[in-house]
Amino acid sequence: MATNWQTTLTKRQAEGRQQRLWTAPIPMEKAAGWLVLLPVAFFFVYPLWKLVILSVKTEAGLGLGIFSELLADARTWSAVYHSLTAAVLSTVLALVIGVSLAWLCAYTDIRFKGAIHVMAMLPLLIPSYVMTLAWTQMAGPAGVLNRFASWLMGFPVELWNVYGLDGIIVVMGLSHYPLVYMLTLSVLYRIPKELEWAARSSGASSRNVLRQVTLPLALPGIASGGLLAFISGLDNFGIPAFLGIPAGIPVLSTLIYEQVIGFGPSAFGRASVLSILLGIIALGGTGLQWLLLRKSRVDQTSAEDRSVRYTLGKKRFLAEGAVGLFLLITSFLPLLSMASTAFIKAYGLPFLAENLTWKHFLFVLRDHAGTREALGNSLMLAGLTGALCLVVGTLFAYWRVQRPHKLGKMLEGAVSLPYALPGMVVGLAMILTWMEPIPGWQPGIYGTVWMILIAYVTRFFILQVKSSTVSILQVGREVEEAARISGGKLWTRWGRILLPLYAPGMLTGLFLVMLTAFTELTISSLLWSSGSQTIGVVIFGFEQAGSTTLSTALSTLIVTAILILLAIGGLWKRYWQRRVEG
Amino acid sequence: MNRIALRKWTLSLFAAVSVIGLTACGTSSSSPQAAAPSPEAAPQTNNQAAEPVPAKVGGTLSFYTSQPDADAAALIDGFAKKHPEVKVELFRSGTEEVISRLQAEAQAGQVKADVLLVADAPTFASLKKQDLLMPYTSPEAEQIPAELKDADGSYTGTKVMATVLAVNTQKVSTLPDSWKVLTEPEAAGKGVMPSPLYSGAAAYNLGVFTRQSEFGWNYFEGLKANQMTVSKGNGAVLKSVAGGEKEYGIVVDYMVARAKKEGSPVELIYPSEGVPVITEPIGILKGAQNPDAAKAFVDYVLSEEGQKLAADLGYTPIRKGVEAPEGLKSLEEIKVLSADIAELEASREADKKKFGEMMGGN
Repeated sequence: MATNWQTTLTKRQAEGRQQRLWTAPIPMEKAAGWLVLLPVAFFFVYPLWKLVILSVKTEAGLGLGIFSELLADARTWSAVYHSLTAAVLSTVLALVIGVSLAWLCAYTDIRFKGAIHVMAMLPLLIPSYVMTLAWTQMAGPAGVLNRFASWLMGFPVELWNVYGLDGIIVVMGLSHYPLVYMLTLSVLYRIPKELEWAARSSGASSRNVLRQVTLPLALPGIASGGLLAFISGLDNFGIPAFLGIPAGIPVLSTLIYEQVIGFGPSAFGRASVLSILLGIIALGGTGLQWLLLRKSRVDQTSAEDRSVRYTLGKKRFLAEGAVGLFLLITSFLPLLSMASTAFIKAYGLPFLAENLTWKHFLFVLRDHAGTREALGNSLMLAGLTGALCLVVGTLFAYWRVQRPHKLGKMLEGAVSLPYALPGMVVGLAMILTWMEPIPGWQPGIYGTVWMILIAYVTRFFILQVKSSTVSILQVGREVEEAARISGGKLWTRWGRILLPLYAPGMLTGLFLVMLTAFTELTISSLLWSSGSQTIGVVIFGFEQAGSTTLSTALSTLIVTAILILLAIGGLWKRYWQRRVEG
Repeated sequence: MNRIALRKWTLSLFAAVSVIGLTACGTSSSSPQAAAPSPEAAPQTNNQAAEPVPAKVGGTLSFYTSQPDADAAALIDGFAKKHPEVKVELFRSGTEEVISRLQAEAQAGQVKADVLLVADAPTFASLKKQDLLMPYTSPEAEQIPAELKDADGSYTGTKVMATVLAVNTQKVSTLPDSWKVLTEPEAAGKGVMPSPLYSGAAAYNLGVFTRQSEFGWNYFEGLKANQMTVSKGNGAVLKSVAGGEKEYGIVVDYMVARAKKEGSPVELIYPSEGVPVITEPIGILKGAQNPDAAKAFVDYVLSEEGQKLAADLGYTPIRKGVEAPEGLKSLEEIKVLSADIAELEASREADKKKFGEMMGGN
């Protein structure tokens, strides 16, 4: 049933696309392509290429021996199957939760939005080993859930055991939904409510409004968030390592780690072959996202509209209760479990008053010399990574959106790979590349803190690109046209019109990049050197020495500090938006 | 026109910013590498083993290790007191990460480490096979039992770390004294061990156990039948035993002793059959840029002073005549289960594979 509003929408959409395809003189177009292509090739593709070469290097010279050996191994395919299942299903879970929560927060009159927003960030902040540990305490064989069920029934029952593929999917989905939530939220605010009203007054049911207006218009955010959740699921090592290894479930990331540490002459080659498989899956995800985005609709730009669009009425209590319970279980309990471990004198003692102490916090803050240095390094690294990604990533996203051609797609795929591959592999590729990037040229970066910076930027770039893209996609070209027609110079156009409009997505990206960089673990544990210790390295060190109480104390401090900053940042963001759009 | 101007701006800005990182790094870096000889150019550093160590050492020493952070720091402090003129640069991470970085550096043609100290002898045997180590027989090594060091001096054990049985004292009332308890009904579904696929020390233990006549692969069949859980590493094993999720664990001794000392409800048991022992060997890398300081460092670690430091940190020392810390047995009191290092190194991958297939789809 093609109603009026639908035709208008599609027509406008078609015109928009037509406009987007305007072509400049060919040489300019080409030069632009090269200017983006070269840095991307050097910083993103070249390190991966170094890795790929290893896969065909056998003791007998170049050959596909490692490929044929690994591809004939049933375990490889079992890992591919598990990785794919875990990534896809956890993404579906993340999408359902993330979009629902974003919709509730953006459109309804649900209360405590600020608190919900902060609580929803927790899964991104809490280290994944803490998250999985909390889940094993809740839903492990001897966990609260199963003990309660057994007590209820009077005989041993196992309701649900978190060890296994289903556990990996659930914990991954719950860890990655904030990515979807954040990217969707900023999109939802921008959808003009008039469109929804128009649809409804033309007789569409509210479900149809959601399906045919809201969701298609929100697709840029949903698809980008889904992609990030998907590739996060592929690269994740902590969750399958804790929940999969005891259950005998290999995934690609754990199998790659296993190959790398198996040393031997072909260890890297084997890891490289598996990384190629993982890369192919990741690119498949990116391709799927493009297909989805083709269906997305860009409408005329409107300012952020944070007014309530749906009143839940009597259902409000129900919704608030459900969200509260959900956040309690998925965010607050893991945080509590982490904090309670940090206060216990010795790991394993019951949580009783006489067993509690502040000494672990004091030790990490006052007595452990490495902590302060690491804090400084991590802050510096997160700041620089955030700033570089913010500027370059937004420009990349701008270029990418203006020219939806093949080269753009290929380059976007290329910059997403370092985020999809396990940190261990990216770290090794960095060593192979930056020791001597070009034969005969040793920039002396390897072994310094700048090595970590380059690795972070390479790895987290896609987070900024996707976040910025979401906002750029939502701002129609006519805005820039209008500014130009009215005689706005380049700086005026960007500074006064585009940047404020792109700001929500850019800030989301900055936030994601800085946060992930600040708590990064794998790459720094491979690349740090004297003087460039990061927070992740310190926590990893405590954990490895068996000092769980210390590692959780430091994690608790970090999470608390970030939560406080988040609250301040939220206020600042509100102020910024009021200034820009008020 | 404006459009083109805009794009020019965007692009040049893009290009400019994307190289900022590179140039910033380029300018901030000095060029020590330029002066440093590449490994190919410096084969003469290999055969200095016989020469006496010069009294004067200096410069920077690059030290890669998997010891816990605090222990590595204490070791460096101790060394600095003796040789204040040497600046030690540390890279500390898991054994797996350290070796991976080393291998990647070797791939890229430049090993940056001078001295390496990681978990077990087969790891060093593998590096020796790849011709990455420089033989050095420290005068201090005389006091170390021959079976705990390499005959050519490519690596020398620095301490004794036994893998023991840990039990949760809140859940287990009668302490077992045999590894066999893990295959018996009382431990059914309650045991946990580190995975040889993810931990070098665990892979060593697997090799040793399967080569004992009283254990062999049958023992691991028994563990499997008794629902032994395989966890990522020693840290995870200790956590699940101390936390009460499991009751029996196969885990490295010093971790249990430390946790017990802090008050965790765990007890450490040396089973009567004996225990496999890893030695955290130390070795000097071929093409080390500061071989003299490297030798001085190895001497210090093996010296009486260095061994006392290890004991103070809670490890069983390897040198004869230095006492073990409280709660741990000394080398003389430990019944060591061992196997041929060369054989362990050669069959490690096969052992791991067999283990993976046996323990269920892993």
